[in-house]
Order: sequence, then C-alpha cells, then structure tokens
Amino acid sequence: MRLVSAELLKLRTTRLLLWLGLLILGLEVLVIALHVSQNSVSELAQARSQRDVVSIAAVSALISLILGIVASAGEFANGTIGHTFLVAPVRERVAAAKLVAVAFAGAVLAFAACVFAWALAALLLKARSVPVHLGSGSSLRLVAGIVLAAAIAGALGVGYGSLLRRQTAAIVVALVWLLVGEPLLGIASADPYGPGRVIASVVEAGNQGSELLSFDRGLVLALIYLAVAGVLGTLAFRRADIT
Amino acid sequence: MPEAPPLEVRGLTKRFGSTTAVDELSFAIEPGRITGFLGPNGAGKTTTLRMLLGLVHPSAGQALVRGVPYRKLDDPVRTVGAVLEASSFHPARSGRNHLRVVATAAGIPRERVDATLELVELSDTARRRVRTYSLGMRQRLSVAAALLGDPQLLVLDEPANGLDPEGIRWLRNFLRSFAGGGGTVFISSHVLGEIAQLADEVVIIHKARLVAHEPLAALTARTAGGTIVRSPDANRLREQLAAGGIEATSGEDGELRVAAPPERVGEAAAAAGIVLHELRAESASLEEAFLELTGGDE
Repeated sequence: MRLVSAELLKLRTTRLLLWLGLLILGLEVLVIALHVSQNSVSELAQARSQRDVVSIAAVSALISLILGIVASAGEFANGTIGHTFLVAPVRERVAAAKLVAVAFAGAVLAFAACVFAWALAALLLKARSVPVHLGSGSSLRLVAGIVLAAAIAGALGVGYGSLLRRQTAAIVVALVWLLVGEPLLGIASADPYGPGRVIASVVEAGNQGSELLSFDRGLVLALIYLAVAGVLGTLAFRRADIT
Repeated sequence: MPEAPPLEVRGLTKRFGSTTAVDELSFAIEPGRITGFLGPNGAGKTTTLRMLLGLVHPSAGQALVRGVPYRKLDDPVRTVGAVLEASSFHPARSGRNHLRVVATAAGIPRERVDATLELVELSDTARRRVRTYSLGMRQRLSVAAALLGDPQLLVLDEPANGLDPEGIRWLRNFLRSFAGGGGTVFISSHVLGEIAQLADEVVIIHKARLVAHEPLAALTARTAGGTIVRSPDANRLREQLAAGGIEATSGEDGELRVAAPPERVGEAAAAAGIVLHELRAESASLEEAFLELTGGDE
C-alpha cells in the first residue's frame, strides 16, 4: 500500500496529470462544441446522438495509456528508477504498485473527463433548447465503460512502458499501432481483436455495433492483454540493470 | 556467530557482453570506518556499487549488505543510505516532493523530510523544482535522500562531484561526524585529496580487479617503501649504508632518504654506533600510491 501511495504521489507531484487533464478538456471542448453546433436540433434531440457527443470522453482511455507509459518508461528516461529500486528492491512489488496506481489514476481521470463532458454537453444542448437525455441507461453505461477502459489502458501502458523502457519511442509506437497498425488487421478481419479495438469494446459497454466484440468478450481479452503486458513488463523490470 | 560486515563482495563479477566491468572482486569493509573506493575511470567502481545496491545483477559472485543481498534487506532505507548520480531526479518535481516520495514508499514520517532538508541546508529551496537546482544542490538532495531512513551505513558514489569548496567542506565534516557516531561509510571518489583527508582505509581497483585493500597509512608507507633518517653524523651513516649496499641521498639538517626499510637502517646505525635523532618509514601521498598501483591511469 505504501508503494501504491508513493506511486500516486509521484503522479501528483509533477505537472503531467495537469497537462494530460487539460489535453482531455481541450479535446472535449472542441469536439462537443463542434458536434452540438454542426447538427440539427432534431438530430441532437435523439438519445443516441447525445451519447455520441459525450463519447469523446473515451479519449481519456488513450491518455491513460500514455500516463501508464510515462509512469514506467519515464522513470528510466529521468533516471529516477534507481531511487525507486533502492527504496523497494523487490521489483515485482514496484511493478504491481505502478499497475494499481496508474489504473486508479486513469479511472479518476476518466471519471473527471466524463463529468466535464456530460456537463458541457448538457449546457450546450440546453443553450440550443434541445431536451437533454444524458441520464439514460445507455449513457451511464458509457461512463462505466470509459472509466473501466481507462483503468485497464493505464495498467496496460505501465506493462508496455516497462517492457520498452524508452518513453518517447513507446508512445510513438503505441500511437502508430493504434492509428495504422491496428486498422491493417482489418485485412484479415482480425481488427476487433487488436488491443485498441478491444479497449473500445469495453468503452461501449453493451452498446457496440457489429464491428466490435461484445463487452464480455472484449473485457476478457483486455484483461488477457493486461496480464501479458503486466507479466512481461515485470520480467523486464526484474532483469533490468540500472547502470 | 560473528556479525556480518556492513558490505562484502565475494568473487563479484559483471560482464556486459564481451566487456568485463568487474572481475572476481572480493573484499569486506569494517564497521565504524570510512573506506575510500578508488580506481581510474572505467575501473568498475560504479558498477560494483550498483551491484552492492541491487541495481545491477552480478554475472557471478555475491554482493552483500549486512550479510544478505540488498534485495533481501527487510528495511533497506533504514539499513543503508545511498548517494547515486546527482542527475537522477525528476526535473519537474521539487526537492521536498522527491523526499516525500521516498519517505512515503519507505513508511518514514513526513516530519523526517523537513528535518533532513534542514540537515543538508536545503530548506529554503526545498519547494523549488529540481531542474532549477545547481549540481551542488542536487548532490545535497541526494545526501538528504540517503539520510532519510537514518541508516548506519552510507554508500556514496562520487558525492563531491559538483560541490563547491564550501559544500565539500560540509560533506567532509558531515561524514566525519557520521563515522564518529559509529556509522560506516563506503565512498567512491576520483578526488584523491578528499579521500586522503577522510578515509581510514582504501579499496583500490584497476581494470576491474582489486589491487589494494588496506589502511590508508599502511598503503602510503608500503608504496613508498623507504626510510627517512636524521643523524648528527649523517655523512658517516651514509658511508656505512653504502658499505652495506644501501643507497641514501642527503637532505637538509642531517637528513637522509634511504632506499631500505627502517629496520635495516636502524641496525646499520647501531652497528656503527651512530646516534640517530629520527627514524621513520617514508610515506607516499595517496596520489603517488594510487598512481603506482594503477600504472599511472587516472
């Protein structure tokens, strides 16, 4: 528990969370404002449309992934991993603490992103005299899905970052994979099984279309990805020489 | 059962690919003493220290702290304080927050953070981000982190790097006081003058291997190997020594520098009935001893 607290303190004592939070808010303002201003009142009045408006909060899962990468690979980049291992020489415990801490921080970040997105969307919809349906079961399941997905993505980022140990390279490779690599899986009709799509199926939490796995299958596969990344990342932590 | 030494390495070896950074190193340091760890650049000092601290995995042999590998210490922060490179801080985190992270992970009360900052004279700048610190301030922060758990053993890797003269004096006084209170210090440095002023004994490695481990005084005397002798009858003594095949060169005030141990000089003088006013082993400086042992590599 002490190590988890220390990892959370690390996240709180730099400006990383602040910048990532601002990035999420900026994206939410941009997307929600565009969506509400560009669509007709009749379209915006549909619950499905309003759900689409606030789904931008799911970007917090991607940001959470980056947070996880920085929390693990960033320690190697800044050279602080030596201090971390001096305090906690059993490295498996450090890896576990990072997984838990970033999963928690990612979930909090995602929840805050949802609260802001819902509030902003409600405000803008009301400003256009559109009846607000953001409290529907479907919309609330989306909140749960986004929070869960962000927690998983954050922990996944820790494992993946521990494995690569190069912060910038790890972020770039992750983004290239999500934007280019994973769509290419579509050639073999395997794209629903890519980690990005699997996380998306958790986000959708029961509202998915045919292109995503069901929530249950997506969650199980996401947890398998997490377990594999966690084990490989922990092994990489264990074997690393801090020179 | 005798107590395990504070630090001990046995047949310690580290290979990075085809390069052997540390080669079958064995030594143990005594408690309550300051031991200097010397060697030319690239000799393997930092790798050895990092193996002792569990940061680098040995290829062979053992690195033990109080008889166990660092990884198996019950409470590492309260057992050993380590000063690593001064750059190993998150630049955007304040000095105080860095210590808070360490204290939180180790279960050390927060009040100790402020007390330690006070001890290293960083209280005024503790809330500034580390990126604004000078190298000397970072070194003090490293020392503060090492002292957080109030350990009885300090391992320091080049702690004087970047310190100004006042900082070096502060560090010297602090380490003396720490050792005076029964603490054990193992300090690597390339500043031989600092080690000469601080250390009780030295461990010297060269090209990854141990070349000396002994008290500083014994090392400097052994390395010089000669004798200083002063006599009112210096000329006759020199002739007496020459007759025995021992070379001596004259100095001022009847002083001779003799290329032989004090025992032989004393025996030669006694045999000739020559009065001596002084007879002592000649000491080399640590630098001279170091250069002799390492073949002049620095």
